[in-house]
Formats: sequence, C-alpha cells, structure tokens
Amino acid sequence: MKLLTRYNRLTIMVTIMIMVVAAVVYYFTITLVLSKQVDKALIVEENEVQEYVAVNNALPHIFTTNHQSVTFTKTANKLPRAIRDTVYQELKGNEIEPARVLYTNVQVAGQNYLVTVIQSTVETEDLLKLIFGITSGLIFTLLAALFFINRFILSSIWQPFYVFLNQLKGFKVAENTGIPAIASNIDEFRELDSAVSIMAARVKDDYHTLKTFTENASHELMTPISIMNSKLDSFVQTGEFTDNQSKILNDVYGSLNRLTRLNKAMLLLVKIENGLINDEKEINLKKLTADTITQFEELTDNLNIEISSDLHDHTIKANLPLMEILLNNLIGNAIRHNKTDGQVSVSLDKKALRVINTGDNKALISQDIFQRFHKASASEGTGLGLTISQQICDNYGFKLSYSFEDGRHQFTILF
Amino acid sequence: MKLLVIEDEKALRESIGDYFADEGSICEMAHDHASAMVKVNLYRYDCIVLDINLPDGSGLDILRHLKKERLSDGILIISARNSLDDRLTGLDLGADDYLTKPFHLSELRSRVAAIVRRKAFDGNNELSFNEIDIDLLGKEVKINNTPLKLTRKEYALLLYFITNKNKVVSKNAIAEHLWGDSMDVADNFDFIYSHIKNLRKKMLEAGGHDYIQAAYGLGYKFTAI
Repeated sequence: MKLLTRYNRLTIMVTIMIMVVAAVVYYFTITLVLSKQVDKALIVEENEVQEYVAVNNALPHIFTTNHQSVTFTKTANKLPRAIRDTVYQELKGNEIEPARVLYTNVQVAGQNYLVTVIQSTVETEDLLKLIFGITSGLIFTLLAALFFINRFILSSIWQPFYVFLNQLKGFKVAENTGIPAIASNIDEFRELDSAVSIMAARVKDDYHTLKTFTENASHELMTPISIMNSKLDSFVQTGEFTDNQSKILNDVYGSLNRLTRLNKAMLLLVKIENGLINDEKEINLKKLTADTITQFEELTDNLNIEISSDLHDHTIKANLPLMEILLNNLIGNAIRHNKTDGQVSVSLDKKALRVINTGDNKALISQDIFQRFHKASASEGTGLGLTISQQICDNYGFKLSYSFEDGRHQFTILF
Repeated sequence: MKLLVIEDEKALRESIGDYFADEGSICEMAHDHASAMVKVNLYRYDCIVLDINLPDGSGLDILRHLKKERLSDGILIISARNSLDDRLTGLDLGADDYLTKPFHLSELRSRVAAIVRRKAFDGNNELSFNEIDIDLLGKEVKINNTPLKLTRKEYALLLYFITNKNKVVSKNAIAEHLWGDSMDVADNFDFIYSHIKNLRKKMLEAGGHDYIQAAYGLGYKFTAI
C-alpha cells in the first residue's frame, strides 16, 4: 500500500468517524432543545386555557392556526395529563405534519373536558434538515480539503524521500557513481541524506577493499603456484618413479592445474566486475561460435556427441577474449555435462544465442547455478564458469538464462 | 644458446636455470632491476626472460631501455599479471612473446626456442634433428628426406618434443601447449595419447627412430639417441 493511500485512508476514516459522531450528537441535542421549546409553547397554551376557565368558568374561543389547534372534548372521567408525538393536519390542504400534542383536563360547570393542544413541529424539522445539510456539506468540504492537502504534502514535502528511494534502487555497489546529495530544508531528510551518503561511501569502500584484496591475494598466490609448478617439472626429470609415485605426482599436477584455473577465474571475475576489461572491437559471432565448436571436435567425437548448429550472421561490439570465454564456457558445459551419444544444438541469430544439450534428466536450479562455487558434485570445474559467463553478459547488457524442457537443458543469451 | 633470466623469486629462477642448464646453454641470472641493467648493458643474449614485477622497478623499463638502445636480444616477458594491458604494453614495446605465470618449464623452453630460432635464422627457418628435418615456415617435416604428413597438433607435438628433448614433459604441459589454457586440461588427456600414438606410427613408417617414450605415466620423453 502506498504511503499516500495509507495516510489518506487513515485521516479520512478518522475524520468521517468524528464527523458522524458529532452529527449524531448535534442532531439529538438540537432535536431535544427544539422539542423542549415546542413543549413549552404547549404548556403556555395550557396555562392560558386554565386561567381563562378559572376566570370565566367557560371554555375559551378557539382560533385554530396553521401550526396550532386546541380542541375540547367532553369526557366522563379525568384522563391523565400527557405530552406526546403526533401528526397534525394543516388547515389548507391535506398535508400531514409531525406535531407535539398535550392532553390535559379542565372542569367547566362540573363537566370534565379533555383539552387537546396540538403544535406542529414542521418548522423544527425544516431547521433540522438545514442543519443536517450544512453539516454534511462541511464534512465533504473537509474531506476534499484533507485529500488534497495530503496529496500536496506527500508530493511536495515528501519529494526528497522519493528521490532517495530512486537513488537507492539504482545504487550498485560495483559502480563508481556515488549517491548525490539532496537539497532539503527538512531536518529529517537532511539526516537521512547524510546517513545514506555515509553508508553508500562505506559500502563502496568495503567492497573496493574486498575486491582489491581478492585481486592481490590471487596475484600473490600465482608466485608460489609458479614455483610449485616449476619445481614439480624439475622433480620429474630426476629419475625413475614407481607406479605409485607417478600416480601421486599426477594428482599433484592435477590439483596444481585446478588451483591455477581457480585463481585465474577469480582474477578474471574481479576484473570484469571492476570494468577493467574494455578493449572492445567488432566481433563476428557466427565465426567465433563455429570456431569454438571446432575446438571441441575431439571431445565430442570421443563421447560420440552430435553437435548441430544453426548459425546466422550477427556482429557485436565486445572484448574478444571475454566472448571466447563466454562461448567456451557455455558450449564446453553442454558437452561436459552431456551423456554418451548425446546431442548439443547451438543456434545463433540477431536476437539470441541458444545452447541446448541432453544430459541428466533433471532440471538445474536456475537461481543456484549462477552462484559462485556452485557446481555439480562430479564436476572438475572451478564452479565459477557460469558466474563469469553471467558477469560477461551483464557487462554487455545481454541476458543469460537457463531453462529445462523435454529432458534438454537450454542456456539462452538474449542480445 | 645464451640466456638471461631476470626474476626476483629465487626458487623459480633456479628451476628455470636448472632446466636450461644442460645441453650447453649458458643461463645467467639477475634478481632485480639494478643487477639486470648491469648485465644487459655489458653482454648480449639470445633471449632474455623478463619478469615484469621486480622489487626495485618494472621489467618494462628494462624492455624500454633495450629497445631505445636498439639491442636485438630476444625478449620473453613472464608475469603473474594476466591483464591484457600488461600484455599489450609488453608486446607494443617490442617484446617477442608473453607468458603468464604459472607456466610449465617445457612451455617456457618451447617459447624461448621459438624466439631464438626466429632471431638466429632470419628467414631460413630449418630445424634438423638427426634424420628429422623441419621446415618451420612451411611447417613441413621430412624424415630421411621422406615427407611426413602430420596434422596440426602432431606437428606442434613434434616441435615441442624436439625443443624439450631428453626431458620428461608432463601430460598437463602437453595439453596446455596443444589446446591452450582456456580448455579444461583433464578433457584432453585421452587425446594426447592418440596424437602421440599417431605421430610415432608415422615417424616409424617413414623410417625414423622411435624417440618418444611414455615416462612413468606422468608424461612423455623425447630421447635423443
């Protein structure tokens, strides 16, 4: 829910509730006051009748008006005095109006009369309607005002907040652009601004330190690896080895080779992330893809894997070694993680490059495979190949994705 | 062959020295920028193996100096930095080749030999070993004047073995040499065997000696008879 919606909903709900309660209280108070007034008028009339009867010992003359009437009815017994709501028929016309009635008794020459005094309350009702109209008008005006004020507050006063939000959304730790300061004369936003700037700078700083460390560590490792490699090369010249010894030496060679590749992969990753590889030129992707497939010829022949390719011309501007690595990774994976007598199909057009292969009949988890050091348990690889591939794609704005359909694994690069 | 190895890591320097020492090559050593400058100013070498990162300066400065003085020593840069910039700068400055650490000694030797051959023969690129004659430009091989039809990889293998004769060359080194380091080495172990089998067969059929021997399951050795 948006802040504006939430805020509007809350204020408007509270306002409506207060207004409704106020209107109800108002209504009952006014009604009470007005009906008290009508009742007072009835009592005044009653008193006048009583006084007249006391003085003249006769019933008074009655003038029935539009709003009031007094009638006398002969009754045998005294009826209890009472004031009630009733209706009143106007003199002219047949309109029935709400009214108040007072029943009382008078005695004229020993005869008991029931006096009925009726007072129309139509004017009171009119007044109430008017009051109700004004009140509801007020409520609506107030609500509209609140709505627009909220809108204004959020769009103008909260503006820096939305700017912050957009900047944070666009914040990339690997990029060199900082978060620009935002001019605001509101203390909270100024504090937020400085807090965000400090945080961004610190995050970038930490990230940079980490990257530098990775790069330095990988570089520093290269020297001891070189020495081990050369010492091993020298050692194997020294004489005869038993089968067991040569197996051990082979394993050492293998591990050393793996260490080297891992280290190179990490260095490459840091370099791509740092945007240090930017020597770009026009690359004929069709030719490069075909060349890559040829490179794997021996491997595919050996495993009896059938490679089919449907390549159309496509030229991109990119760094050649990086594109070689990308194609090597994707096509190499499709062959290595295949099965004997399997198939690989590579298609290229202006929109996409697709590498589809047979293999384990089980989909890979696409959010995991691009993670660093995630690899199949049987894999001899570094676990960085797909991470590097994705990083290369990100670098050039390509989109690398994985899907699994009909027992075939598919990697797609959308250009 | 007269070599100068400029490398600050003692252990690596010694390994390189030992590997090149036999066979009558003279291999001199320098461990920093200053001592290297003294040597390059006093003597000429067939090839200088040059590390870029030296404790008291950059190997690239030595390279610049050599080019400025128009000295024709072959130069092979070895560096732990695989960055494209260093590589391009090095080659732009006139280095003959660039090798990234870590490398196999057999690979270093093969690169050095290629540089020395280019410098020494000036267009007349012929390499002979006993009954084997190799035309390096035409990439043609003759045994007792019988032409040998070799594939690209078999040719590369033969040249690699002759350059590293009497040395055990590991399967890892061969795989990296033939397929480059972008390929997974383990993928290619099986193919090394078949390439070598074919090469031996062709050489024997042409009347050559059987020089190539498997070495304790570690690799192969080209034994000069």
